[in-house]
Amino acid sequence: MMDANEREMYRAAIHGDRDAFEMIIRTHSRALFAIAYGILQNREEAEDAVQDAFVKAWKSHWRLRDPGKFPAWLCMIARYRARDVFRKRRTVPISDEMTEPVESETTDTTALDRQLYFALAALPELHRSALTLRYFEEMDYQSIEKLLGLSNGALRGILGRALASMREHLKPALASLE
Amino acid sequence: MATIHDEIDNWLAADVHAQLSEKERHELHTHLVECPTCRKLYQENKIMNQILEEKFMQEKQDAAFEQRMVARFHDRIPDPSGGISKLIVDLMRLRAMQITAVAAVLLALMQVGHLITREQPSFKEPAATAGYAMVDKLETRNKQVAATNAPPSFGALGKSDSRRADEATTFATGSTAPQNVPVPAAKSPAQPDKKVRSAEIERTIVPGSNESVAEGYGTSSETATTSSSMNRKLIRSAEVEVEIASFDDAIQKITALTNEERGYVATTSSEKQANGKLKGKVVVKVLPENLDRFLQKIRGLGELKNQTLGTEDVTKAYFDTESRLKNARVMEQRLIDMLKKKSDDINDLLQVEKELGRVREQIEQMQGELKYWDSQVQFATVTIQLSEKDMEEPAAFLLKERAQLALYAPDVEKIYNDIKSLASPKTQIKNAQLDRDNTGRVSARISMLIAPEESDAQIAHVKTMGRVQNFQVQTERVAQGGSGMSENARTKRDKVELNMTISREEQEQAFQETSLRIRTSAVDDRAKELRNLAEKHSGRIRSSTFSRDPDGREFANVTLRVPMRNYNALMQSLGALGKVENVSVQRQDRSGAQVDEANAPADMSIQVYSQGNIVSSETGLIATLRNTLGQGAAALAWSLRMIGVALAFLAPWAIALAAIIWVVRRVVRVRAGRGD
Repeated sequence: MMDANEREMYRAAIHGDRDAFEMIIRTHSRALFAIAYGILQNREEAEDAVQDAFVKAWKSHWRLRDPGKFPAWLCMIARYRARDVFRKRRTVPISDEMTEPVESETTDTTALDRQLYFALAALPELHRSALTLRYFEEMDYQSIEKLLGLSNGALRGILGRALASMREHLKPALASLE
Repeated sequence: MATIHDEIDNWLAADVHAQLSEKERHELHTHLVECPTCRKLYQENKIMNQILEEKFMQEKQDAAFEQRMVARFHDRIPDPSGGISKLIVDLMRLRAMQITAVAAVLLALMQVGHLITREQPSFKEPAATAGYAMVDKLETRNKQVAATNAPPSFGALGKSDSRRADEATTFATGSTAPQNVPVPAAKSPAQPDKKVRSAEIERTIVPGSNESVAEGYGTSSETATTSSSMNRKLIRSAEVEVEIASFDDAIQKITALTNEERGYVATTSSEKQANGKLKGKVVVKVLPENLDRFLQKIRGLGELKNQTLGTEDVTKAYFDTESRLKNARVMEQRLIDMLKKKSDDINDLLQVEKELGRVREQIEQMQGELKYWDSQVQFATVTIQLSEKDMEEPAAFLLKERAQLALYAPDVEKIYNDIKSLASPKTQIKNAQLDRDNTGRVSARISMLIAPEESDAQIAHVKTMGRVQNFQVQTERVAQGGSGMSENARTKRDKVELNMTISREEQEQAFQETSLRIRTSAVDDRAKELRNLAEKHSGRIRSSTFSRDPDGREFANVTLRVPMRNYNALMQSLGALGKVENVSVQRQDRSGAQVDEANAPADMSIQVYSQGNIVSSETGLIATLRNTLGQGAAALAWSLRMIGVALAFLAPWAIALAAIIWVVRRVVRVRAGRGD
């Protein structure tokens, strides 16, 4: 469970304590970045999304009542924000993104990167978030569960299926690597 | 239960992420040894994990990421004003501070409420201590006990005490005490009363310590209250309303009762009603202490309708007048002294004499007033309203008859004059009126009053003068000198009022109306014959017309009126004129009215006609075709219009429905986009 200090920090942040909120920014920005990156697969955009999420959270902190729900709430704001960014981006012709990696397709690693990109993009959003939290932050399952509001069984299933899906997508590349 | 093999993906993922428990890992590896498929997957998964770890390592944020986030947050949300507001925010985080703040707000709201309602919070009044000091002064033995800090709740009590003390002192100083109040008693009631009250207060403040003193005063409390009630000048009065069987008996009984209670009957008055019943008023004076018993006895006289008991307290006015009287007496004495001493100046003497006269007049007036009050106080006044039973019973009944008669006569004016000539002392014509309108129709209206003994004969006589259309008699019994029923009141017959209307026979509505057509070839001749026939049956032709239309058809319309007794004979003879068609008969059955059926008029309207000899233009093939086409076109136009109406009715709904579907699809699409 959440320890008392942490809880007190969330409570203070809800009541408008700036210091507490900055502390939360320090402790949570990487996790949020991981989630946003999972959705957007772009570092700059993900960073902006996280930033926006914090600003939005600060502005509407009074809406939250239960300090225990603060991390999940923050996480949700970040997800929505990232989704908004993603949706806006979709209006940009998709061919630009397609051509860019093609141009720089010189080495094996970039080819693998591209395949990874599409394999990730093919996953459902929740799967991507779980994956990124795991690999960016090396979070244990318990922390991920708390952030995404999942049970242990569900998270195992999600990560299992995500890895299996990635495996399927990257089968040719894996074969060559072996 | 799912086996490891079924859920191998989940197990492998948890394994590479090192999230399996020791036991679970053991189970997994046992399975991997057995199952080559899973073993292959295990290998692949490991590589996959490695690739991902490498990939995300590259993408991982640098160490300054957090610092950057905080800095940017600072840029976007600048700290409003570090000092005071931050302090307040910090303070407000404390639970104690929150409670204090809520309490402060509530207190402020209450103060605002007081301001709005202008209600003074009940704090200690200065009058309280003052009042208490008064008690303190009167109290001699318990000086040290009378607390210096009196509780605020005793304020009101203390105040009333002080007022009472004032009254008591004025009373005690009054030199001329009323006869029924002994002078020594005047002084005593004030003080014991005071003492009892102070003793009570002390008992509340210091329980135990002064018990004995309080008890000592407690015994005198009863005498104090009784004597204080005797000091009061109370005028008691009562009003009673009683319904009795006999007035005289009641008066006797009341007198007896009054003597029993040592009172007297002051006044008696009585009044006789038209129906012989008596009602009246008795004023009785009894001693105030006997009043209640007396009233109880009065109830036995009959049925009690109403009772009012009143008490007027004139104590204050009485003692005011008394002290004014005392002052006036002093003034009088002084003036008398002046007269004795100073006798040189006539003018002054006169002045003093005049003043003395005025003062004496005042004294007399005040003495009279006091005497009046004394007498009022000495005896209670009981006003008894007596009325005999069945006060409202009527004295007599008057039978009023009113008759309405409608006559039809051939000569209105003659009958009008005949009726007018009937006038005699017993038959008075109240109103007679003859109307003739611009078409020459005459009608008359007469109203007359007939003495009761002659009325039947006169009305019967008038009825023979013409044909009675309607006759109604209305009888009304009017109670005199009361209302309701009475067994022994007389009934008298009043004059009969007769209202008549006379109109000419032609105006009478026919008893029976018949219309028929007779087809014949020679219209004109037959019409003449018809007229002769009618005259033969003592009928009167009322109108007759003749016409011929362009097709050569001829019409003769004849309306006539015959008495009912000749109607059937006429109808039979009509057959001789031609073919009788379309006979319709309408009969007016006037229910309830007296109708002389044989003489009642029957109207006939007869059309004698011949068929034309030219074919109408509205028959034949062309006309039929034209009609058919015209109707077809009209039907087409009508159906077109209906289609238009249906379209106008449906179109808005169709548009609204389309709009809703469009919005819903749009929303679904947006949701789907967000779900991606």
